[in-house]
Amino acid sequence: MMMTAMILAACLGSAAQDEANLTVHVDGFSEARGAVMMAVFASAESWNGGDPVAGSRVEVSGDTVTVSFSSLPAGDYAIRMFHDVDGDGELNVNLMGIPSEPFAFSNNARGNFGPASWQDAVFQLVPGENTHSLDLR
Amino acid sequence: MQTHPNRRDMLALLAAAGGAASLPGLAFASEGADPVYQAFDAASRHDPWTLGFTDAPATGLDGVPQRLHGRLPDGLAGTLYRNGPARFSRDEWRYRHWFDGDGMVHAWHLAPGEPVTHRARFVETPKWRDEEAAGRFLMPTFGSQPPNTRGMRGPDDMNAANTSVMVLDGQLMALWEGGSAWQLDAQTLASQGPRNWGDGLDGLPFSAHPKVDPDGTVWNFGQAPAQEALVIWQLRRDGSLRRAELVGDIPGGMIHDFAVTDRSLVFLVGNLRWAGPQLPYLDSFRWDDSRAMQVIAIDKSDWSKRRVWELPPGFLFHVGGAWEDVDGTIHVDAALSEDARMATIGARDVMLGRPSPESEGGSRMHMITLYPDGRFERAAFNDGGAEFPQVDPRYTGLARRFTWHVGWPDGQVRGASQLVERNLLSGATRRFDFGTDVVVEEPLFIPRDRAAEEGDGWLVHTALNKQARASELHIFEARRLEDGPVASWRLPYACPLGFHGCWQAA
Repeated sequence: MMMTAMILAACLGSAAQDEANLTVHVDGFSEARGAVMMAVFASAESWNGGDPVAGSRVEVSGDTVTVSFSSLPAGDYAIRMFHDVDGDGELNVNLMGIPSEPFAFSNNARGNFGPASWQDAVFQLVPGENTHSLDLR
Repeated sequence: MQTHPNRRDMLALLAAAGGAASLPGLAFASEGADPVYQAFDAASRHDPWTLGFTDAPATGLDGVPQRLHGRLPDGLAGTLYRNGPARFSRDEWRYRHWFDGDGMVHAWHLAPGEPVTHRARFVETPKWRDEEAAGRFLMPTFGSQPPNTRGMRGPDDMNAANTSVMVLDGQLMALWEGGSAWQLDAQTLASQGPRNWGDGLDGLPFSAHPKVDPDGTVWNFGQAPAQEALVIWQLRRDGSLRRAELVGDIPGGMIHDFAVTDRSLVFLVGNLRWAGPQLPYLDSFRWDDSRAMQVIAIDKSDWSKRRVWELPPGFLFHVGGAWEDVDGTIHVDAALSEDARMATIGARDVMLGRPSPESEGGSRMHMITLYPDGRFERAAFNDGGAEFPQVDPRYTGLARRFTWHVGWPDGQVRGASQLVERNLLSGATRRFDFGTDVVVEEPLFIPRDRAAEEGDGWLVHTALNKQARASELHIFEARRLEDGPVASWRLPYACPLGFHGCWQAA
């Protein structure tokens, strides 16, 4: 009983201590209008067609944009984002389905015939403060 | 998609594409010096043919060619624009495929009473600018995977803008086939950026062989082989968009050129077929002669209507032209080959600085007749190798007699040495052979005037003179082709061999 209580306390304690905050700096905007649309994924499964664990929309009014996420459990994550230049909330694509608005993935990873892979885009959030930089150029 | 396939995967891919035998010592930077770079460097010391595949200066070329003989014919004035790959290596690493080189656009100005002038500039795509700044290749290309490349955000990231040129309503554009047309200043050749034809059309493939109807309507296509689709483009003579749509159910055979008649868009789909995305991009295609070569004629006025013919397997880059009888019979001539070794082997071998005996012979002109009931006739002109067919531009889509093309005797392996006029109806040819010191590039036919009958005009073309180590410009009286050029000029330097050009009358 005593042991169980100690383990439980340790777990609860560590849960609180394992929370991570993430600040993402984005630069390389071609136009100072519209918004950054950013989604954070926590697994390869969700990366390939599932739901993000967090998302954010931030207006673009200058050369850089900062997007913040708080209280994420420490662990592996990957980011997809695009610059919604015309502010319609959608990633514009051409007739062949190729994006016509700037986009980026975490680690500035790039795919070749499609999105970057989870393997290339994954990065680790450690407890406490974390920063990540994305370049749209 | 892995950015860096391991060596075994790469070998398997190349073997599947038929190219492994011609690429001994596959190069990876991590293994030290690049053997392709070294092989070409060694060949360039003794074989002046390699001048055709040597890097041009990054700042471009400006020169006044020396007149060798003759004079500019009365009535001929304008600019010959040409395009071709001209940058093949960076940081002592060389592309594996001729079609990878960054595009350089040339302008030869011909004006009465003035010296001929030549100017050439690289098309400054983002790829070019980034790689020029980095001092190494950064992007995968059509047929190469340089070390430590970036991934791609879209096809224009690897746009080499290296295949052809067009002038539409005064706007010069460098054409590729996997992405956007690239706008250039027609005088300075300074790059202006990708052409966006309209909403949702940015970055779409715009191929290198647009066709212009007698009324000025421009037709073109772009291939989306993975989607088994084509983007079909219809533009007005002022360059504005009339219509662009994705047309599906087109086999993913590599389609480089097409033909138009007054009623149809005619696509010949060869047997180098899409087999799934791979890098380099060329490896996405595999030879498959278990199926027919399809010819698909799409109705110009209703893109959902089509007729299909099934021909024996084969391959082609270029079509001469087509016309259609009242009953719907289509006549089309094309430079066909039995296989795609020129694309998968020959164009790789030139990067090593060696001609490819396996591809000898290569393509020949063929006349194809497609009947409304699905029957066809296909006849080869068995009088030597042929490429770069051209027609009198006034007869695009109309019944005609002539095709002009470059030619070479069977067994000749270092490029074309001949200009050929071929009468498609009689089979008769006129031919001029410069001899093996000269590599002949695409001839353009320029009519003497609006009223001149078909074939009455000039042929203008460039060439690499290997013995003189210099590029040349030649003008022929088309009806006296066999007499040789009536006027010729020679630059004080050699330019890399190009692909296609266009003529803009003054």
